[in-house]
Amino acid sequence: MTDIETAERMSRGRAAVMALAAIVLAVNVTIQYGDAAYASAGPRGGSWIVVIGLWTFILWNGGGLRLRGRLRALLNDELSLQNRARALALGFYAAVLLALACYVANWSRPMATGDALKIVSGGGISAALLRYAWLEWRLR
Amino acid sequence: MPEGLANRLREHRAERDLTQAALAEMVGVSRKTINTVENGVFVPSTTLALKLARALGCSVESLFSLAED
Repeated sequence: MTDIETAERMSRGRAAVMALAAIVLAVNVTIQYGDAAYASAGPRGGSWIVVIGLWTFILWNGGGLRLRGRLRALLNDELSLQNRARALALGFYAAVLLALACYVANWSRPMATGDALKIVSGGGISAALLRYAWLEWRLR
Repeated sequence: MPEGLANRLREHRAERDLTQAALAEMVGVSRKTINTVENGVFVPSTTLALKLARALGCSVESLFSLAED
């Protein structure tokens, strides 16, 4: 298998993993909503920081840090970088809109700070991951 | 196709009997990038446009042009 074929296969795999991660994140935000244990100091609350930090890092650099130079360059070529930039932009807008939605929702139904922050961070990252996965699949 | 930009990458590649994967290998990008450039979905950087022109042995202007030209 050539580097081009390997990179293409890995690119499709990366898009699939990102789509799956986006769904898992969204489900987590939903089922953990209102449960203070998942937003308080401790392993469960701290795991959210790790998960969001990890996916932010992967969105920023494309992942594949252990790959050798040429394969990594193919996996993160111009098109992929543009797709990531577009995905991050959408993630930013999604986070802002979700923050505004939480702000308004809080007027009628008070919301815990931890829950609101998880909606904003989880929603923003999920939107970015889904957008990236969609762009990579659509343009294959 | 991005507004106002035309490209003849597919024709130049076909003239040289190159597959998208072969051209991608020559310029160091993914096959998907070549495909999206050919379909006008992705506008390459100046650097990539120059690499494509060099790989195909033609000028950048013969590959890419303004649609009204």
